[in-house]
Amino acid sequence: MATPGAATEARSETEASARLGEPWVTIVWNDPVNLMSYVTYVFEAYFGYPPAKAKKLMLQVHQDGRAVVSSGPRERMEVDVQAMHGYGLWATLQQDGRESGGAA
Amino acid sequence: MTPFRSTPGGYAARWEPVERTVLARVARDVAELVRSESGIGTDLATGEGIAFTGVGRVPHDPAVQRLLPDAHREDPDVAAEFRHLTQTDLAAAKVARLEAFADALDGAGDPDDPDGRDVVGQDDGAPTFLMVAREDAQDFAGALTDVRLVLGERLGLENDEDVEQLHDEVIDGTRGDDDDNDDSDDNDSDDGGDDDQNRRYWGGVFVAAGFAQESLVDEMLADLRARNARG
Repeated sequence: MATPGAATEARSETEASARLGEPWVTIVWNDPVNLMSYVTYVFEAYFGYPPAKAKKLMLQVHQDGRAVVSSGPRERMEVDVQAMHGYGLWATLQQDGRESGGAA
Repeated sequence: MTPFRSTPGGYAARWEPVERTVLARVARDVAELVRSESGIGTDLATGEGIAFTGVGRVPHDPAVQRLLPDAHREDPDVAAEFRHLTQTDLAAAKVARLEAFADALDGAGDPDDPDGRDVVGQDDGAPTFLMVAREDAQDFAGALTDVRLVLGERLGLENDEDVEQLHDEVIDGTRGDDDDNDDSDDNDSDDGGDDDQNRRYWGGVFVAAGFAQESLVDEMLADLRARNARG
């Protein structure tokens, strides 16, 4: 669903494996169904972010199509992504440093 | 349907009987869809204590794909491993909360509820009292999300403009069915009437679920912030 540009993906796996030392990030993608207030609630309730930061990230998702909402070791990002899917948000993990646009 | 309001006993709203019935039914349908598409068995206990079974086939239905999406956009191995590790738990949790949501709606309108007295004197079919306990509110909102995501996929809502247009159609429809708007001619097949009717019906359910969720989440967010401010 939603519209986040599916283009410009597909980078080589060698590039990914060359960055094994880098932390991973959790990205939440925009979708037209989830309410802005609900996304804000999830960022405050799950991550414990203060309202201003939660709102900023929510707006980034809404306007830019996505936002980095957490970063850390892969195992922790998997926990975060699973939680986001539980809430019904569309989230993915990836290794940091592959694209610009992080906020968290 | 009235907006949810925070009360000492939880979040309270009044829903028409038909609103409860329709949303309970669609929640059970979504639960069944998730159950069958995700590969969890009908005999698998939902709720606590889900055993990891390693099932993790990719759902065929695009709506369920949205509920259980790939966790990596470029690396299929990472996505497959994540699905293998998490899908059973995620799907079972969604099924459990959708069924709890439906049960709550089917059981709403308890006459013993102190606030139920407001309804006294109204006709049959009057809105009935619905109370969502604070500890259940997040699951209730989550179930509304899953219902809305599935309806949104079925309605072809791909961007914000689609959603706005649907809202306009639904609002127009409630003002008067004779109000022809230009967009209703988009489906020019012979049975376009049925399509329009379907779209209006499910669009109405989508909008109602969004209205309920918005008011509930507003109150939840206010409570959360008040708690954090005190703590």
